[in-house]
Amino acid sequence: MKIMKFTFALLLCAVLSSCSSDDDMEDLAGQTGDLVIKFDNGVGDQDFIFQTSYNKSNGESFKLETLKYIISNIRFKDDEGNVFMYPSEKNVFIVNEADGNNAGEIWVTLEDIDAANYTEVTFGIGIDQDRFALGADGQGDFLTEAENEGMLWSWATGFKFIRFDGTYSTSTVTDEGLNLHMGSVGTALDNYKETILSLPNTVLVRNEKTPEIHIKADILKAFESVTSVNFADGYDQVHVDAVETPVIAANVATMFSVHHVHND
Amino acid sequence: MIDLQSFNRKIVLLVFLLFQILRSEAHVNNPPCGEHELLSFMCDLCSCSTSSGSFGFGTLSNTNFIGLRYIYQNFESKDGIFENSLTSMETFNTYQLWAQVPLNEKVFLSVNIPYQDLERKIDNTTESINGIGDGSVMGWYKLQFYKKQKDSVDFNMNREVSGHSLLFGIGLKLPTGKFEEALADNVNPGFQVGTGSFDGIFSMGYNYGKDKFGVNTLMSYYLKGENKNEYRFGNQFSYSMNFYTVFQKEKINIMPFIGFSGDIYDAIIQYGETLKDTDGNITNATIGSEVILKKIILGVNYTLPVHQDLFGGNVESKNRFSLYLNYAL
Repeated sequence: MKIMKFTFALLLCAVLSSCSSDDDMEDLAGQTGDLVIKFDNGVGDQDFIFQTSYNKSNGESFKLETLKYIISNIRFKDDEGNVFMYPSEKNVFIVNEADGNNAGEIWVTLEDIDAANYTEVTFGIGIDQDRFALGADGQGDFLTEAENEGMLWSWATGFKFIRFDGTYSTSTVTDEGLNLHMGSVGTALDNYKETILSLPNTVLVRNEKTPEIHIKADILKAFESVTSVNFADGYDQVHVDAVETPVIAANVATMFSVHHVHND
Repeated sequence: MIDLQSFNRKIVLLVFLLFQILRSEAHVNNPPCGEHELLSFMCDLCSCSTSSGSFGFGTLSNTNFIGLRYIYQNFESKDGIFENSLTSMETFNTYQLWAQVPLNEKVFLSVNIPYQDLERKIDNTTESINGIGDGSVMGWYKLQFYKKQKDSVDFNMNREVSGHSLLFGIGLKLPTGKFEEALADNVNPGFQVGTGSFDGIFSMGYNYGKDKFGVNTLMSYYLKGENKNEYRFGNQFSYSMNFYTVFQKEKINIMPFIGFSGDIYDAIIQYGETLKDTDGNITNATIGSEVILKKIILGVNYTLPVHQDLFGGNVESKNRFSLYLNYAL
């Protein structure tokens, strides 16, 4: 008898706890929240560390002392297909490895995002032609920031979208200078690229929550993904070259992936 | 008999009510693991493993007692997404007031109130957090088997126990452990002493004890409740099996034991979605002994993982040690 009662109680509990009512629809109209995108630079499965030598698959190796890139036009698509574009004037960031925290993460905090359940993030690497067309004054504070960070050639030439500085070694040379400065060249050469990443879990942006999207950037892919390049063939010094920069731009666009998201 | 039945009815009612609370209060509890990924591992391990079936709810000889138990555990976790990400060394010290109290000859309660003192070290930075952890209460029913009577005349009085018994337990793990925002450091989220959820615990055990030898087995299932942030730790299955023997001296009984235990965790579910790399399992070997001197029971055991795959391999349990001093009731 007693066993029967215990068993019954057990079953009852199981039934009750599995029938929770979470169907109440939230009204998200007018609600906004913050979101953090963490950029985490790595080389393959290794966390990137300055002045550490990393091998390319062609036998060449590199060490970096500067690792920066520009991210812009961040937008999110929700589970109903609506797209939220972060306000344009604030939607440009320099991700600098030197700004990383102890874990090597560079945080980009976005404020006042429309509350929604987001499933996809899209962003650009560099500055698109529309933003460039706003002129020097139209860049606002970002122009000064980019100048201070060494991410601008000159106004006429434009922005450096990525900046990798360091040294490289091959079988014949050791610790030669490596400078990979890729960007658009004025309006003549457009190297702005976008990457679309689907999120492994839904990101819930709400008034009182700050979810995080942890993005892994595999910088090795800048040298070998769509096209594998050799430092020895001139890719040790990439600046405004019309042949080399589009190759690097296409590679850089594949660097990013979402490792995981974290809802608050 | 009538008293007993009404008592049982009360138990059923109590359990029913507690689960109603679980449902209605699930949304007003303490916050869960905050915003950082590793925190969730911590919670699950800290607040559950120390009260889990693989740790045991009672003593070898299954006597009623009140006592203190100390549990030391350490873990190594990866604090990042890369192979060479920093590792964090976690040390969990748990001090428990625990008791097994009889209600009648077949029904008893086991109660566990832990105090958690947790510490983690990453890259020469140490964080610690402490406080009352998640307590648990379990009701147990012991089904004792008797030897068959030789003749058919049965007065139902002096039946001889066979040494075999079954245990059925049902209980609750309570969100008594408070969430504390530890050092708000970038790398280190801090960790907490409780899960913020009501969990149901269902156990079944088989015990056999003869003069010189015995075996205790226990299987428990943890039905995890959802906490305020719609965060639900993975349901957990725990098992343990210990073989013991008895050396009797004049006034002292020494009961060394050896066995194995383990836990299997389902993935964590948040906002109705399964979180990647949050399931796992661990199997441990255990060795230990109890020393019984009159009313005093001193126990010690050491647990070493023999196989584990916790949270996608990002968390590694190193070893556990526990020491308890009980007073038999």
